[in-house]
This record gives sequence, C-alpha cells and structure tokens, in this order.
Amino acid sequence: MNADEMISRLSGPLSLRRRVATVAVLLGGLFGAAFVGLLWLTEPVLPVRTQLAFGGLVLVGLGWAGYGGWVLSRRTPLFALDRVIAGWLALAATGLLAGSTALVAVTRGGVHPAAYAMVGVLVVVAVGNLVRARASRGALLRRKRELGG
Amino acid sequence: MSDELLVVRCRLGERDALAELVRAWHAPVWGYVRRMIGPGEADDVTQEVWLAVVRGLPGLRQPERFTPWLFTIARRAVTNRLRAEYARPEVAADAEPVTPDPADALVDRAELLAGLAALPAREREVLILFHLQDLPLETCAAICDVPVGTVKSRLSRARRLLREELNRKEGRP
Repeated sequence: MNADEMISRLSGPLSLRRRVATVAVLLGGLFGAAFVGLLWLTEPVLPVRTQLAFGGLVLVGLGWAGYGGWVLSRRTPLFALDRVIAGWLALAATGLLAGSTALVAVTRGGVHPAAYAMVGVLVVVAVGNLVRARASRGALLRRKRELGG
Repeated sequence: MSDELLVVRCRLGERDALAELVRAWHAPVWGYVRRMIGPGEADDVTQEVWLAVVRGLPGLRQPERFTPWLFTIARRAVTNRLRAEYARPEVAADAEPVTPDPADALVDRAELLAGLAALPAREREVLILFHLQDLPLETCAAICDVPVGTVKSRLSRARRLLREELNRKEGRP
C-alpha cells in the first residue's frame, strides 16, 4: 500500500461534514434532553404515562449526546478549526435553549430555579469552550508563522 | 518543510498538510511494521497506526517530538500483534557487553535485512529503529520506553545474534 492509498483510506474520519454532523448530534441530543427536561420541570402535575414519555425523550436525547461524545472522543479527530466551529455551534444551541427557557418562563410565569441554574452553567461552559478553542487556534497560528509557514 | 511545521498545520486542520505528513512518513512506518510482523498484516497494522496518529494529532502537545510519538504508536500496534514474543523474559541487560559507541559498529544493510527476521522482537526493533530508520539512541530509547543503556545493550546483543544467524546460514562455525 502506498501513501496515497493510505490517505484515501483516512478520508472517512477526516471528513469535515462527518465531524460537524457528529458535533451536531451531540449538541442536538444534549439540548433536546435539556429542553424536554425543562418542560417537564415546569409542569406541576402530570399523569404517570406523560411523565414516562418525558423521561423516555430525555433518555433518547442523552443517548444521542453520549453517542456523539463517544464518536468525537474515540473515533473522530477534532482539529483546531473544528473546535472553533463546534464552540460556535454549542454557543448557538445554548443561546437557543436560553431563549426557550426565557419564553417558557414568560408564558408560564417562571420556571423551576434548577432550570435557570442549568441554563446558566451551560452558557458559561459554552462560552468557556469557545474562548479556549479560539485561544488554542490563535497560539497554533502564531507558532505556524514563527516556523515560517 | 519541517515535521514540526507540518504537525502544527495538521493540528490547525489543514488537510493538505496531513497528506504531506503521511507521504513523508508512510514508508518508514510501513517498513518498520513489515519488518516487525511480516508482510501479511503490514497494511492493516499500518492503517491502524495512521488512524491512531490522525486521532491523536489534535492532542499532540510537543510537535517537535513527532518522530518518537509516531513510532511509539507504531510500536504499540506491533506489540499488540506480537504479545507472545514480547512476553518472553528478556536476557538481563548487564549480561551483554556493550560496544563503546554503537554508531561505530557498522552493520551492513543487506546482511541486516537478511538476518533480521530470525532475531527476537526486542532486538529486531532496536536494529530497525537505529540502523534502518537512522534514529538517534535517545529517540530509540523513548520509543521503546527503556533507558539509553538498555538500547545499547540490546543493540550489542542484536548484532551478535545477527552475526551468529548469518554464520549459520552460510554454514560457518
């Protein structure tokens, strides 16, 4: 096998579309589960079957998030640019969740304090991730220039 | 272009840099793997190595240490295939007299290739890394995760075993 054949065999894990799709699966699962959980918390009294349905939806969301996390950590490399893109996607998804929480709070006269705390933590984590990803990419770009690239 | 620059560009996510890195290092990795485990599984194990490299590149903190990192991954893949051979107890390092400077003890490349397959895995790997890949002793030691002294000792033993093997093949006493 020569180098070009090897490069073509590596094209799967290196596909940008595949990596972005995996990040989207992780974020979709995580924030879907968070949103359903948020709705669940705001309903004071629910029949058992509805509670089971909410619980099932939360588990499905967490399952997809877990799958996305496993693929990203074990199967797919995330390079500096990918991390910045993933950071923006996470921030957008968190913003959407924060907006949804605000909407639910306004229409239903407030939500459980735990929901505010959860959204707050997710926003802080998303901003922190994005700042770190940008700083790391900036450091690599500086090093590339120092090495004459 | 230096390996360090290539690695930095790879970590940034530049696909052409990764292709260049694979083109530069595929032959040495494939050669090492093939000589360690034979031609039958060399392609599959080499692909396994490159997949691990691609997955590990974003986390490589010292791009200037790419060579030992790459061969450490390759060695891990080889060790997994040769578990039984690596599990055999090694001859004590101090049992082998070390030549003053292994770099002076030239080994004929053709002779080395002819007798390599008959050597035990640990001795085979130091011969490949030091004489065929031209890696410095310190890098060989880092890859094999042993002190430099142990590498020197293994090299001395490997050269002696190689001579014995070649003499045996030629019917000399």
